[in-house]
Amino acid sequence: MKSRLLTAFMILALLVVACSSCQTQGRARGDESKVHVGVVFDIGGKDDRSFNAAAWEGAKLAAKDLPIVLRDVEPGDPTSIEPAMRAFAERGYDLIIGVGFAQTPIMQQVAKDYPNTSFAIIDGVVAPDEQLPNVAYLLFKEHQGSYLVGMIAARKSQTGVLGFIGGMDVPLIHKFATGFEEGAQSVNPNVRVITNYVGVTDAAWNNPGKGKELALAQIGKGADVIFTAAGNSGLGAFDAVEQNNKFVIGVDANQNWVKPGFVLTSMVKRVDTAVYQTIKDRVENAFKGGVHVYGLENDGVAYALDKYNAALIPPAVLGEVEAAKQKIINGQIEVTDAMAK
Amino acid sequence: MTEIFTLSIVLSTIRLATPLLLAALGGLYSERAGVINIALEGLMLAGAFTAAAVTYYTQSPWVGLLAAVVAGAAVAGVHAVACIQFKADQVVSGTAINILFLGVPALLSGALFSSTGATPQIPKENLIPWTPIVIAVALVPLTWYVLNRTPFGLRLRAVGENPEAADAAGVGVARIRYAAVLLSGALAAIGGAYLSIGQASLFTRNMTAGRGFIALAALIFGKWRPVQTMLACLLFGFAEAMSIQMQGVAKIPVQFIQIIPYVLTIVVLAGFIGASRAPRALGLPYQKER
Repeated sequence: MKSRLLTAFMILALLVVACSSCQTQGRARGDESKVHVGVVFDIGGKDDRSFNAAAWEGAKLAAKDLPIVLRDVEPGDPTSIEPAMRAFAERGYDLIIGVGFAQTPIMQQVAKDYPNTSFAIIDGVVAPDEQLPNVAYLLFKEHQGSYLVGMIAARKSQTGVLGFIGGMDVPLIHKFATGFEEGAQSVNPNVRVITNYVGVTDAAWNNPGKGKELALAQIGKGADVIFTAAGNSGLGAFDAVEQNNKFVIGVDANQNWVKPGFVLTSMVKRVDTAVYQTIKDRVENAFKGGVHVYGLENDGVAYALDKYNAALIPPAVLGEVEAAKQKIINGQIEVTDAMAK
Repeated sequence: MTEIFTLSIVLSTIRLATPLLLAALGGLYSERAGVINIALEGLMLAGAFTAAAVTYYTQSPWVGLLAAVVAGAAVAGVHAVACIQFKADQVVSGTAINILFLGVPALLSGALFSSTGATPQIPKENLIPWTPIVIAVALVPLTWYVLNRTPFGLRLRAVGENPEAADAAGVGVARIRYAAVLLSGALAAIGGAYLSIGQASLFTRNMTAGRGFIALAALIFGKWRPVQTMLACLLFGFAEAMSIQMQGVAKIPVQFIQIIPYVLTIVVLAGFIGASRAPRALGLPYQKER
């Protein structure tokens, strides 16, 4: 009897903890006139100092500038994404933002059931005939930004060997890898890029130990600049380059500050801008479904240059990279989009 | 292919095997005393989070490591009370702890760092990349000695094999089991601490990524014996190190390389070792006769 009571207690305790990780609240009373925005994060969580963090920055900025009510959910595992999304929709939220490609099929389902709610999905690629009118698909030309940091990496490298560490082995991350390699080879055709992935499940975004081992292995093979696109796992590579006096290139958010002097630059993906703009559109009743593309031309992707890395990149290289940027924008250079193949 | 087999793979193997070995040795104490410890994953997470948070505040990895040991033992204490005092199902209790520690670090880091599941990064000077490895290596002969050459070890094994007989001989079954489970939490927590303040430099959500379960597999594979368990951990570490080194060198798809550790596990478990015999009283709560 005692043991049964205890089991019941433990199950109860589990439920409490499980729910504490999804701190959703109903539509706030008294604020009903305001636009309600719900953000559902990716498995990495909003402290990844990278992709999710960038989305959260944009949302927080919007909450400061605009009259909105902002709530967020960090799903502990993939199965809690759909309930979180539905909970927002059910409570009458006006705009629901899904962070990360993994949520695309779920959002497609949920958005169908709530046609009067606006949805936005970051990195969500769907076939044109499956796009829904109430969903904004926010896409980035990561391959273009990766091309530019690839050029910087190849110019900085003394060994002619570069590393790439991707998180989950998925088409979206291949986009970073191919862009990086093409950019590097455009300035030095003999450069070699060692490409590694942390894993094939979503645990791959949260495994800094393995990220570090991959980076150490690449350094062992001569790599002296490593580009990470791996969420929290990438932070392990930051430790590895610090130990060995090499360089790392950050991703998504500007990560130059994480290890000053060791971060060559960051391939910034302006998820924050995209999120902010989408919220602003919704507030101004100008929300449009369909594909929204952010590339070099509208500063949707960029390489980060600030006080932390200004001394690391020679002016001549910057000039070369700026020239290439213009050529990509006006179509003289075409960077392969690994997802378009 | 020659560039795969270098000193770096040896070092990599050791680094990857260390958290497994610490957790597996922890599990060994608990399970040889008859208490299933499926909670290794959660205990590692508890240790990893505590170590990173305390090191961040005190700027001393030693205090961090000590705090992790205490935290691990405390969490294991919950498991022990549930399994020994209340005779709860040991697998259920362990699973509960695992799920609990998916959430607890997120909750605490919200209060401490206004983040949800990650600690700030710890500067390189405050990391201890070697100490846990030394501890792990030293623990193997020590555990062998304790189990086979000390009165405590004899009682621990007796309690795990035949608690009735041990009780009749005047051994405090519950007391020995409590000690074993607490010890198991402390060791698994050191394994977790290695991940957050040894190998990496911060805690991130669920950063063990299944290592607690692999440690459990290594323990079974090592037939609940310290030296064999160490070899099993080294094998798993080696498989992972290989998969890391081979990626990008050999012209083999990444997916294929990444399944090597798992395929190896199945092949070895299925083909190359005899039946692995668990301690006889494993999983059975002990009810003193009245």
